[in-house]
Amino acid sequence: MTVAVASGKGGTGKTLVATNLAVALAREGARVALVDCDVEAPNDHLFFDTEAPKVTEVLVPRIEVDAERCNACGVCRDACAYGALRILGRTVVVFDELCHGCGLCLTVCPRLALSETPRRIGEVRTVRAETGGSGAAATAGELTLVGGRLDVGEVRSPEVIRHARELAAELRPDVIVLDAPPGVACSVVASLRGADLIILVAEDTPFGLHDLRLSIDLAEELRIPAIAVENRGNGAGSFLESISRERGVPVRGHIPFDRRIAQAYATGRLVADESKEVAEVIAGLAAEVRRSSDAEHEMGEAR
Amino acid sequence: MRTIVVASGKGGTGKTTMTALFAHVATGTRGIALADADVEASNLPIALLSQTISCKAFSGGSTARIDPQLCAGCGACVRACRFGAIYTPDEDDPFTPYAVDPWACEGCGACVYGCPALAITMEPQIAGEACTGSSSVGPIAFGKLGPGQDLSGRLVTEVRERAVQLAQVAEAELLLIDGPPGVGCPTIAAITNTDLLVGVTEPSRSGAHDLERLIGLAAKLRVPVVAVLNKADLSSEGAQGVRELCRERDVPLLGEVPFDPALAGFMGDLVRGADPGTLFAASPGLKAAAEVWDCVEQQFEPLAPRL
Repeated sequence: MTVAVASGKGGTGKTLVATNLAVALAREGARVALVDCDVEAPNDHLFFDTEAPKVTEVLVPRIEVDAERCNACGVCRDACAYGALRILGRTVVVFDELCHGCGLCLTVCPRLALSETPRRIGEVRTVRAETGGSGAAATAGELTLVGGRLDVGEVRSPEVIRHARELAAELRPDVIVLDAPPGVACSVVASLRGADLIILVAEDTPFGLHDLRLSIDLAEELRIPAIAVENRGNGAGSFLESISRERGVPVRGHIPFDRRIAQAYATGRLVADESKEVAEVIAGLAAEVRRSSDAEHEMGEAR
Repeated sequence: MRTIVVASGKGGTGKTTMTALFAHVATGTRGIALADADVEASNLPIALLSQTISCKAFSGGSTARIDPQLCAGCGACVRACRFGAIYTPDEDDPFTPYAVDPWACEGCGACVYGCPALAITMEPQIAGEACTGSSSVGPIAFGKLGPGQDLSGRLVTEVRERAVQLAQVAEAELLLIDGPPGVGCPTIAAITNTDLLVGVTEPSRSGAHDLERLIGLAAKLRVPVVAVLNKADLSSEGAQGVRELCRERDVPLLGEVPFDPALAGFMGDLVRGADPGTLFAASPGLKAAAEVWDCVEQQFEPLAPRL
């Protein structure tokens, strides 16, 4: 079972929902992997005291040019869809930040002048986290943080996200919780693809509603069922409810605006442990995840 | 003309609101033009109630398409593709033509070169739109990226080019850019070759952590950085963390704007033409933001005027 927490707008509370949901599921006895897919602004780890994580580098190929062999014929430049190769003087110059690592230039080079060496663009930090729960279920459950981090100055976020998700899948957890980046572009697609359920965190403001519509469009394109949670509400949430009804995305909870919530979040504490309202919303989401997960198992057994 | 970009690292810190407020204050003293470089969630036009003048399709990269009539089912394309974008719709039938998963295809064309049956073509995609509009504070360029599209960085560059044209026509002295969240491709496109980056952050560990990454990026791109602490009174511990970070990294913290739930409402009044003086007196948030803008302007005094 894979559940993704997403939003079009930034700062709506994705990380708040993802961290607290992952902890709630682990305390109920599930083996949970929380994947930080917001690799440009990764914050999940700020909410947990952990040992030093295991670090896996994310490597992509870098093109090396053998100047002895290259005769600047330009075949590679013409083949490259990204403009990553240019002829300068009597040789080829490679622009690493434009390269997608497709390997086409290697194939087309008539003089076999190109080769690949690994280049680092980020890392994935994997570490077990304490959930602070008590009782038999909490002892059975476990939470692993799998945090993708793009190196500052690099651009290939989707590659780091894919690596983080692969490492999480290798742990074979019961539930994978994906904390997605904001927006609707390729990084978000890399985060959401293959998820069984998307939780959209939204604000009932003009910006929030505009961006919620974009996120619903994307969820529809990807054909993944979505539910919504309102954050920083004032109890009304009426516009949010009407968009959700219109677009068939049920609202499964309202987190109120509360200075205490903001304060707990600001200092890296788990808000569900300090706010009854948040705990209730998170418990509702955990129940929804369990239902989807059970339905998935039943379908698997039926097959 | 000077170019100032508002960015944050972390999303939702108040970039767009701050940009709109800065625009209202700055437009009193100089001609300005605006660009919304968050093409995935373009909100500055909403904040400024801008009127769209024109939109032009933005063509992105290409996606491979396999002609099922020509495909011989040899699998050369599968071996050529490093992105796992080619699949066989029916695993059990060895003669089913291959198909392309458009979400996974990166448009490199390696499959085209690999296909001995010449069954694959690259089809150009429309990635979104680049638009121009007008607002009470100045002309604005913005973009709308299609859901799930690649190339947000290139669309940001396109939006910036349009904004520069608008600024030249309007003889604006200042181009104000509302940046995207994160530190990746669209952010690099938004802050490269600007004169100043205003980092808007919030008093939380996340806000400080992500601002630190943004400061690192700005240093690599050689763009000077100043910071603003928004919603400053929401957490004293969080605010302290941001102040310490700015001190350590030698980034001027130009001001602190208190959390003001009425800010959005005041913003609406401003856009609708209410008297700024009266509004600024009534809202501590607006007043503080206006003071921050004065400090931003002062950042430029030591620079020689451009020719």
